[in-house]
Amino acid sequence: MGSGRWSTDVYSAAERYRSTTGRSAFAYSDEGARTVHPLLDPRKARVRESRDSDEHPRSTAIAVLFDVTGSMGHVPRQLQTRLPELFELLLHRGYATDPQILFGAIGDATCDRVPLQIGQFESDNRTDDDLGRIVLEGGGGGQRTESYELAMYFMARHTDLDCVNRRGRRGYLFIIGDEMPYPTVKPDEVRRVIGDDLAEPIPVEAIVAELTRSYDVFYILPASATYSGDQQILTYWLRLLGAPNVIALDDLAAVSETIALTVGMGERSVTPDQARRDLVEVINRVRL
Amino acid sequence: MSLADSHTIVVDLGYGDAGKGTTIDWLCAQAVSAGRKPSVIRFNGGAQAAHNVVASDGRHHTFAQLGSGTLHGVRTHLSCFMAVDPIALSAEADALAAVGVPMVWDLVTVDEGALLTTPWHRAANRIRESRRGADRHGSCGMGVGETVAFSLARPDDAPRAGDVLAPRRLAARLTAVRDALTAELGDLGYEPPVSAVADAFTAFASRVSIVSTSHVRRLLADGPCFFEGAQGILLDEWWGWHPDTTWSTTTFANAESLLDGVSAYRLGVVRTYTTRHGPGPLVTYCPSLSARLLDVHNGDGQWQGAFRVGHFDAVAHRYAIEVSGGVDGLCLTHLDASVPSLCDAYADGTQRLVPGEFGDLAYQEKLTNYLTSAEPVLTPVISWVPAVASALSTPVVLESRGPTALDKRASSTE
Repeated sequence: MGSGRWSTDVYSAAERYRSTTGRSAFAYSDEGARTVHPLLDPRKARVRESRDSDEHPRSTAIAVLFDVTGSMGHVPRQLQTRLPELFELLLHRGYATDPQILFGAIGDATCDRVPLQIGQFESDNRTDDDLGRIVLEGGGGGQRTESYELAMYFMARHTDLDCVNRRGRRGYLFIIGDEMPYPTVKPDEVRRVIGDDLAEPIPVEAIVAELTRSYDVFYILPASATYSGDQQILTYWLRLLGAPNVIALDDLAAVSETIALTVGMGERSVTPDQARRDLVEVINRVRL
Repeated sequence: MSLADSHTIVVDLGYGDAGKGTTIDWLCAQAVSAGRKPSVIRFNGGAQAAHNVVASDGRHHTFAQLGSGTLHGVRTHLSCFMAVDPIALSAEADALAAVGVPMVWDLVTVDEGALLTTPWHRAANRIRESRRGADRHGSCGMGVGETVAFSLARPDDAPRAGDVLAPRRLAARLTAVRDALTAELGDLGYEPPVSAVADAFTAFASRVSIVSTSHVRRLLADGPCFFEGAQGILLDEWWGWHPDTTWSTTTFANAESLLDGVSAYRLGVVRTYTTRHGPGPLVTYCPSLSARLLDVHNGDGQWQGAFRVGHFDAVAHRYAIEVSGGVDGLCLTHLDASVPSLCDAYADGTQRLVPGEFGDLAYQEKLTNYLTSAEPVLTPVISWVPAVASALSTPVVLESRGPTALDKRASSTE
């Protein structure tokens, strides 16, 4: 016995975990994939549709896009693990009727290999497969801006939601990240990543205005170890989306509950009192 | 039905080192070759485990936190009953890479409720052991017991895997550990700041998924789950020879709690002789056997003390079976060692050690005192498999004559 024979230096441990030589067995990303999976390629996806069906007559579109660049550190890996809980929560707690969930990932179109990855709206756990196909960028990061505006452009112009068309009810779009969008949607990036011809740049405020016709848009900031770095980012998004739509998330373990509860409040399927009780339950669970 | 088709809990009926790792390795090899998707679930202890596995091609690894099925690409789940040491885990993965197993992170999940062992726990563990001098408890020096003790004394400050997902809570709890242990023991001699440890733990979470407790249900549905115990029942915190025990429940109890009503085969592992690593009673201790059966993987540890070998102690193993609530079958290892006899009774005629009430440590200490002076009576053994099956009234279902999976075969004495 006694595995103390192995080096237990804290600095080299951190380095080992971060080294890019690691290869893991399941995720598309870890098999060495360096390009977007064909099923998540925005160029191939002309339109992502959330449709009513006999089985799901009153669909509610819920899209969750998260930043997968290096600045996010361990967050994307844990989101891949945590987000599959979202379906069960929405159904189990009755927060939304016939939820249809889409997962996607945001990178940086100025330097990343996979600036945008977009799954399908699904009414069951096939979304888990999309999550597994997402390439995590890792490395780099920290420049305070990522291509959130490009993702918002795609969601504004390349999705079609029956909840909007048939019932005039907007879907929900959650963006999870720790940085800000670039100031404009750029035509060359749109052409290269999505395949549209765009005459001129679109300011981010304009694309948000367009996007909010179809979606109630939320921004979630996972906490870092210090408050100071977060404040500038929060202030930016508060100005862009308005206070109720910006969420600082202290505990990643609660990400699915946070999204589910936000949808529940939006759908008025949960009273503020019930929401408070549910939150306390979540907090008790994650604090152990 | 083969053994590897069902969920199986593997525990050691002695003081550890009987061959849980090699048994798990065999089960995984069987399941994988049958096209199943098995998982190994650890349910006690922490990084102190040292489960030796030798692949048929000669590669060797001593598994500490990773499951002993890793050489077959089998997943490991570190359950809520574990004390997880992210720093030691990274070193273990490195050691595996050195024997040609690529990075294993995607095979590992950690329950968000698992305790985290920090460098301050480890430092405190070693300081305490050094100060005990000759009265050492036989700790492995990895800080596992310290981690558990801290969590019992200060449950709201004890870092758990889920805290890595909440950076501010993590920093607060790491600080609490450092400060509380420093206040108690003085300078711990560990230099790096809280932020460096928090950073390493966060890096750990960029590779290893931290999951909620429902994850075990998914694994159970996905394929056979092999529950890999650490240490041995005779070291159990409640049933062992107090105070020479571990801070851990080494019986089937934790695994059964994870199974939550799903049935599993209960497999007990014993060698053809009984060994003990570290201080405490070993009634059948035999210096000449110790010299002859030197263990290639068990040197005398700096923290743990000597590795001792004795004759097969059927009295002690029967007690282990009784306090554990019974086993369905035995894995008998080291059949290739030539040992001529076993102990079926002590000199005063004792064949059964009577268990006390659960939690009665004063009674356990009386047992310790009795065992310290007990003498073994040896009975010659002609054929080991029937001899052990009969001595323990339990069928031998797996026989091992060497370190690799190829040296094992399923059997039945029923």
